[in-house]
Amino acid sequence: MPLTSVDRIQGELGQFHVTLREHPRYVDSQKCIACGECAQNCPERVPDELNEGINERKAIFLQYAQAVPLKYQIDADHCQKLRSGKCGICEKICPAGAIRFDDIERLISLWVGSIILAPGHRTFDPSGVRTWGYDVFPNVVTSIEFERYLASSGPTEGKLVRPSDGKEVKRLAFLQCVGSRDYNKASHGYCSSVCCMTSLKEAMIALDQVEGLEVSIFFMDMRTHGKGFERYYERARSRGVRFHRCRVHSLEPANEQGDIYFRFITDEGKQAHGEFDLVVLSVGMEPSRQGVALAESLGLHLSGDGFSVTSSFAPVRTSIPGIYICGTFSGPKDIPQSIIQASAAAAEAMIPLADARYSLTEQPESAPGRDIRGEETRIGVFICHCGSNVASVIDVEALAEYAATLPQVAHVERSLFACSEDSQQILRDLIVEKKLNRVVVAACTPRTHEHLFQETLKSAGLNEYLFEMANIRNQVSWVHAANPEAATAKARDILRMSVAKVALLEPLDPVTVTVNPQALVVGGGVAGMVAALGLAEQGFPVHLVEKSGQLGGNARHLFQTWRGEPIQDFVDQLVTRVKEHTLITVHMRGQVTQAEGFMGSYRSTITKPHCTTAMDHGVAIFAMGGQAYKPEEYSYGQSPRILTALEFDKLHLVGDERIKHGRDFVFIQCVGSRVPERPYCSRVCCTHSIQSAIALKDEEPGRNVYVLYRDIRSFGQREELYKKARELGVIFINYDLHQKPVVRVQDADLSVVAWDHVLHDPFSIRADVVVLAAAIVPHPEVRDLARIYRIPVDEDGFLQEAHVKLRPVDFASEGLFLAGLAHYPKPIEEVVSQALAAVARATTVLSNRRIELDSIKARVNEAACDACALCLDVCPYHAITMEPIADGEAKQRIRVNLTRCKGCGICQATCPKDAINVGGFTYRQLSAQVRAALS
Amino acid sequence: MGFEPKIVAFTCNWCAYAAADLAGIIRMQYPHSVRMIRVMCTGMVHPNLVLEAFQLGADGVMVMGCHPGDCHYVDGNLKAEARLVVLNEMLETMGLEEERFRLVWCSAAEAERLAAAVTDMTDQLRELGPSPMKPAIVRPA
Amino acid sequence: MLLEKVGSVMVVGGGIAGVQAALDLANSGYYVYLVERSGAIGGSMARLSKTYPTNDCSM
Repeated sequence: MPLTSVDRIQGELGQFHVTLREHPRYVDSQKCIACGECAQNCPERVPDELNEGINERKAIFLQYAQAVPLKYQIDADHCQKLRSGKCGICEKICPAGAIRFDDIERLISLWVGSIILAPGHRTFDPSGVRTWGYDVFPNVVTSIEFERYLASSGPTEGKLVRPSDGKEVKRLAFLQCVGSRDYNKASHGYCSSVCCMTSLKEAMIALDQVEGLEVSIFFMDMRTHGKGFERYYERARSRGVRFHRCRVHSLEPANEQGDIYFRFITDEGKQAHGEFDLVVLSVGMEPSRQGVALAESLGLHLSGDGFSVTSSFAPVRTSIPGIYICGTFSGPKDIPQSIIQASAAAAEAMIPLADARYSLTEQPESAPGRDIRGEETRIGVFICHCGSNVASVIDVEALAEYAATLPQVAHVERSLFACSEDSQQILRDLIVEKKLNRVVVAACTPRTHEHLFQETLKSAGLNEYLFEMANIRNQVSWVHAANPEAATAKARDILRMSVAKVALLEPLDPVTVTVNPQALVVGGGVAGMVAALGLAEQGFPVHLVEKSGQLGGNARHLFQTWRGEPIQDFVDQLVTRVKEHTLITVHMRGQVTQAEGFMGSYRSTITKPHCTTAMDHGVAIFAMGGQAYKPEEYSYGQSPRILTALEFDKLHLVGDERIKHGRDFVFIQCVGSRVPERPYCSRVCCTHSIQSAIALKDEEPGRNVYVLYRDIRSFGQREELYKKARELGVIFINYDLHQKPVVRVQDADLSVVAWDHVLHDPFSIRADVVVLAAAIVPHPEVRDLARIYRIPVDEDGFLQEAHVKLRPVDFASEGLFLAGLAHYPKPIEEVVSQALAAVARATTVLSNRRIELDSIKARVNEAACDACALCLDVCPYHAITMEPIADGEAKQRIRVNLTRCKGCGICQATCPKDAINVGGFTYRQLSAQVRAALS
Repeated sequence: MGFEPKIVAFTCNWCAYAAADLAGIIRMQYPHSVRMIRVMCTGMVHPNLVLEAFQLGADGVMVMGCHPGDCHYVDGNLKAEARLVVLNEMLETMGLEEERFRLVWCSAAEAERLAAAVTDMTDQLRELGPSPMKPAIVRPA
Repeated sequence: MLLEKVGSVMVVGGGIAGVQAALDLANSGYYVYLVERSGAIGGSMARLSKTYPTNDCSM
């Protein structure tokens, strides 16, 4: 429901009454075909929000080129017709008659069971602060504007030129923390978490685009604490990006040409200055205004910064049952974190509504379509004018005449808009009336419209795979507008290729699997327990396998979250709920030793000390966790007063003498993290040490507490803690990887030697206790299970998700999901979110009795196959196996497991006998297209 | 310009084909020399299909897939690359310049990259002239 | 009176988070109302074209 805002929410969990306000689009979405005629002719120019106002759009516009829905809208504030009654050009010109100047605002009333709020954020606006020079110097831009300069669909078509004079940028600077970690200029204390990576990414893209580009990044702490981020940072360094640990005070013009000048302090503490062609302000996030207004109207608790406040143990719940939040509204976060929270919110929203599942929707049923065996091939060709989009360039009449001459074509039809409802009806009628058994639609692209036409074929009783689209709009008329003759010739070729292919298409049977509603969860830590409960509470039986003799995992060694919430109470509650839940079977001291199957139907073998059982399940969630790295550096083990962070916590809690009477404490960060053997950040240790340092200072303000760090990564709202620690007098000392501190043990005395950057001298700190912030490493079980289920692990030994950005809890193998430290080090609220996200993702499978899969699958022609087995190894999904033709016989044959096969066709290209082919893309079909293209 | 080359391009549904669609949406203009064949993955393009195209007189053949690491099917693009580089040698024995065959990586958002690749290939083929295989083709009456 | 629960969910915000939540719910048997203030879904991510090349927010 686009252009709609929430007016009012009343009621309670299970039954909310919502009033929505739908704002007028002034364009009929049913009719608009997004041809763009209107915008081309609209006289009113408006700054384009998508491109940060760098260029202009029209008063009737498309939000962005790939917008969903792909429908134009009129901006009433700028439309002349709506403001003064004059103009109306778009209405006259629209070939679809979609313009509705009389469109009005409507109120919509709905009943819903639960509500998810994902209002997002807005970017910080640096205007008005003179020292940043934004709005004053044209060559100072924000990182979001810069993103558009780099984009090929952006205002400069991806050329890196600067705004003032179009000169190619050769000297580029990024200033970090603009509007973040800054109470003076922005009154935002928090860290926006994503800008360091944004700048690194933009720097790398810019380096690709401009040869000899010099990039400098001015930062306070590089916060590359996500999965794979540290390696990215290292790559940026190795590509010559210069990093300066300095917050730049103010920008000035360097000359009249528009260059920017500023002074900074080098790592050695010296004054320096630089001149740049373009300066990028790496701007942070702010809560969205609409989000704040909505939250306030509901009475939700917001932090001083305006982000919504949640518990670490229920990170997507609000204070109102039935209303959940996700995304950047609950604090700055990156795309994978937003997606994880979104799925988590979906899980929370569906758990209490489990009884009402499928009360308003139905499970789709599949029908095979009419049997066309024995019929002569009769192809129907439908040519779409797409208003004038196709017809103004391509001679559609000639094309239709040509189509009629092609072999096996039984009928040719032209239509103004093939996708319109009445055209669909004509298509349906003609299939029946003319006994068509193959259909070609020459129009736009199958990527957006194939599904629509396939549904029409289905409704006409024809198998939906007897269909092919000839892309004569996106790939012909739109890209060869200046040459109608050549475009028509190309359209003819493409149509001929499509007809040649469609003639060879065969009906493909639906491929479905029956879903076993049970789930397997491996790992009884917080992630595993949250996941098990989330599924069990929806009525799905769960088998929870825990390798040790105790539930709770790593959380057993942690005492409080960064917000100070007690972890042990939470873990105890989880353990009780898991043990008491009748649908959860806990396999203590259990291990998965074998597994086979595919989405909906797995069988895993669980081995326990005295028994081995096989269990069937539809999905599995892997949450094997991580473990603490045991340091070999910093004299660990040589003194009882050199402790890891977890050891320190325990001793601190029990009031151990060493800590109780200690005066001087030294924390050393990145112990085992961000080193060549483990080039990743463990994400939680900075905050953990800062919290301990604060506790030490709170107890005894006279104590000396030092934190030796490389970059302080108190991301998001954790920045508050960092600030507090500094205020309490905790001393933070930066060190470099090549000048690590040295811990000296002399009899009973401890000291730490660090390097002074300003004086270029080593200096020594006396210590009563040294605390090592040890890395988090993957649990060894991760590798075992990865082998058993054939799921990938990354270079560091953590589980590798299907897509780092967009599918953060899935695997490429469907029906398998991940959560917790087995994926990457993370704090407890992210563990809970990810476990809930896995619940939602698993539910999308378990909630179906049967799952219909795409029928584009590899199939074997046994007559041609000589069982050479070349296809077995290349299959990325291990979907191809060899088996004896009959029991006990030596002769083998190739079998494709259709549920595992994804239809990539790598087998097809490997087969020397043309004996294995992907339906809809067989060798013969592709070859027919090649031949038709060149005939 | 006398000679208009004909290029057969196998384009991956998830990236290059989508980029070609996007090129249309933003009305980018590029030479009309290319005939695209949509495949689910460049990994499904059998080397014989490429050879067949050349034998039938294609002036050039392009295979366009996702950037390394971005394959929709784990690593089909890399398998395609491994398989198709061998083609260069075969082209030589057929008497064809190796420039007539190209493997291009292009994401769904890179319409410009796609258009540039087609333009560049077209320019190059114009320089090389028509495929020497062409006269050998006996057209059916 | 014990009233029956409604099998639908409203998601406010059509950015990447809202879209993901809506998809998961719709694929699990719930009717979803995805409410977006502007003319199209996509949110902030629509402005980032390069790193996330597939524009996966299609419904």
